[in-house]
Amino acid sequence: MKFVNCIVLLVRLVLVAAFLLAAIPKIQNPVTFAISVESYRILAGQAVLWVALVLPWLELVIGFGLLIPKMRRASSLLIIVLLFIFVGLHASAWIRGLDINCGCYAIENVSSNYFLLISRNCALIIAAVFVLARDWRNHAWNGK
Amino acid sequence: MGAPNNLALALREVARELFFIAALTVIGASFSLYLGHAQVPWAEPEITAGEIQLADALVLDVIWVDARSNEEFEAGHYSGAIHIDESDWDSGLVILMDRWLEVPRPIVIYCGSEDCGSSRRLADRLRQALPEGEIYSLKGGSEERPQ
Repeated sequence: MKFVNCIVLLVRLVLVAAFLLAAIPKIQNPVTFAISVESYRILAGQAVLWVALVLPWLELVIGFGLLIPKMRRASSLLIIVLLFIFVGLHASAWIRGLDINCGCYAIENVSSNYFLLISRNCALIIAAVFVLARDWRNHAWNGK
Repeated sequence: MGAPNNLALALREVARELFFIAALTVIGASFSLYLGHAQVPWAEPEITAGEIQLADALVLDVIWVDARSNEEFEAGHYSGAIHIDESDWDSGLVILMDRWLEVPRPIVIYCGSEDCGSSRRLADRLRQALPEGEIYSLKGGSEERPQ
């Protein structure tokens, strides 16, 4: 049982690190992130600015939320939803042959390797589902 | 009997968690706006597509095109500007093409003020006539720096 708990903690910390490392550079430089969002050619104008303003903070809050018992389940759910959206966006950009910077982590001028991006996000989805399932079960066992 | 109640309770708790996350996200985004890090999404953009600001035009060594009336052009214009009247489009276009073919440079069209639409209309027509050209309308018109 303790071994499983250690695995859950490790997976949770990986997810936290993934989302905090993604959020902080975007909060520090929302203009560059807005350019990355625009390069997907799905949103334009004010919608791009809204995403560039809100998404990094959402990533930061749900990243920390995974560590806070009162926010864990909703944070996991939102992480899964966001990761599915990211997979869809990367697949769409790959199909359209766009050569863009994904805007995922530290914002650099490097073209995206879509296969790696989609694989990584799928792995994170599996990790988030695992954490959510454990949190849901633990919550039920705690008599709530 | 107990399972549906537990599910409803769990969903209510998750909804409360989602609300808490949304509130924290809004506070964070507001903090970014307060510090001036992020651009205000609902603010008017400084320039729109196809426009250029005077400061940028001045460093580009552009071909100026005056879209105001002939009287206004005679009264004063940017150095080296070509006057193109929408009613005498063809002759103005020939002069502009000659100038552009000598040394291709960005073309900036200006009219009298921020509100006049002739520079934007002329820019649209020129983009069709000269698709290889880099064509802008001047933000703010000649009010920016009358000569």
